[in-house]
Amino acid sequence: MILKRSGITTVSAGVVSPWWIAFTGLFLVVFFVLPIVNNLLNTTELATLAKQRPISFYYHKLFTDPYYIRIVFDTVALSVGVTVICIIIGYPVAMFLVRHSGKWSGFIIFLLIAPLLTSIIMRTFGWRVLFARRGLVNDFLIWADILEKPFMFLNSASSAVVGLVHVLVPFMVLSIASVLRSIDLQLEESARILGASRVKTFLKVTFPLSLDGIGTGFIIVFLLANGSFVTLLLLGGGDLKTLPLLIYQQFTISRDFQFAAAMSNVLLAIAVGCLYLQLRLIRRKGVKGS
Amino acid sequence: MNSRSWFRLKQNAPKLSMLAYMVLFFIFLLGPILIVVAISFTETEYVAFPPKGFSLRWYERFFEYDAFVDSFIVSVELAIATAVLGVGLGVPAALAVTRGHVPFANTIMTFLLSPLSMPLIVMGFALLFYLSALGFGVSFLSLLIAHTVISLPYVVRTVAGVYRGISPDFEESAAVLGANRLQIFWNITLPMIKPGIFAGMLFAMLISIDNLPISFFFGSADTNTLPVVMLSYLEHQFDPSIAAASCIQLIVAVIGLFIVERIYGLDAMTPAS
Repeated sequence: MILKRSGITTVSAGVVSPWWIAFTGLFLVVFFVLPIVNNLLNTTELATLAKQRPISFYYHKLFTDPYYIRIVFDTVALSVGVTVICIIIGYPVAMFLVRHSGKWSGFIIFLLIAPLLTSIIMRTFGWRVLFARRGLVNDFLIWADILEKPFMFLNSASSAVVGLVHVLVPFMVLSIASVLRSIDLQLEESARILGASRVKTFLKVTFPLSLDGIGTGFIIVFLLANGSFVTLLLLGGGDLKTLPLLIYQQFTISRDFQFAAAMSNVLLAIAVGCLYLQLRLIRRKGVKGS
Repeated sequence: MNSRSWFRLKQNAPKLSMLAYMVLFFIFLLGPILIVVAISFTETEYVAFPPKGFSLRWYERFFEYDAFVDSFIVSVELAIATAVLGVGLGVPAALAVTRGHVPFANTIMTFLLSPLSMPLIVMGFALLFYLSALGFGVSFLSLLIAHTVISLPYVVRTVAGVYRGISPDFEESAAVLGANRLQIFWNITLPMIKPGIFAGMLFAMLISIDNLPISFFFGSADTNTLPVVMLSYLEHQFDPSIAAASCIQLIVAVIGLFIVERIYGLDAMTPAS
């Protein structure tokens, strides 16, 4: 009896040892936290490699030179803009997926996820073909009498935005759908029975309840847009300059590593701010759930 | 049109317009990808859409061009190594956080998933200089470390998700019956979390094989991955061989996706879930 009881106490202490986390934790500290801290402190050979300017010189440049202020602003504005477009386009899709797709829902999820597995280069390549001077988009717009002569979509901010929305909208749809799925349909029925119109039911019941999904989607899409440079490089063609694109160019062309380090820290600060929001969102959800 | 069918159309209008919206949405989402698939089979010297004729010459070109083939091999080797290391590190962590009575388990879980929220270009840049300072330099090992850091969250999440769904009763029964920790892990826990491990491995491979923002920092003749070679190719030339290379990469990914779907379901793919 005593033996059995002591056996049970061992079990409740866990079959899995808490120490199993140790090596993974160490790995992440050494190869994830320290590199970022190192980049923040800028203590590596960077200083000796580059022009021996104090790092503060670069921060000063980033936050006082109108050219760079513009770039920091554009980085955030582009991410917010792309995210908002994703919400507007994605919300109806999520709604359809959850409420009307029936037995097709698995297929629709497959169609949403399949593009995520194609390489970003494949998708930009496709858009370059579509947006070419004599590509399908221009042909169509001229045929429909919207344009008189071909518009140079390529190497402009507009095609970069389209490319980013194309890459990121599935994340938004899936985030919103996972929350919509958890909404109790009886709440909407009650609102309808009590006399609310379809539109009013949506605005007063469904939409507020789905805000958590929009929030999650916002953070994911914002973070991914905030860090992307391939689309801006291959579709935007440098028309729209953002921090990630500039880091890429500093690294490959100018080779001013210290400036790139300073820019990556600003980009990191934006991401950490977003991560903080995410944590607050999760905490709020946790409180609600309990 | 008689009044009855007009009424029916009016009644169905919201549904029909929603259906039309969905069709347009998926044309937007899949169109650019299908166009690339079509272009990869063109006979022409240049990128033509609609493609003219049907040929596999651009696939032949892919396999004749050493830079593509070498980098494809690097990509596949790297993806497999990342998956193995990712599972080696991710599975114990996922188990410990889920049921190991680790203090501050939620905070640690957030930490394990936090590489997901970092801009990849920042991590690539930071890791390049950090690993160079440590003496790893631009090498396959550096690439492996970097790719493991970013795919670890996917492994942790899928494994933790599966493990959470398994009742602790099985492990406790085994313990009561006298099995030791290793025996329990090997005979009870491991077989039950296998789908999660398998899915996590595939996610890690898919994340690794498509990565560009990190890989390009570690580019050299021996360590260029396929996306890196494709990017530099595309910056100088615009011909259908990129379409063929994209399709080859897509085929690898679709096979992976199909296996994940069979084993695990698709919802786990997204960072949102």
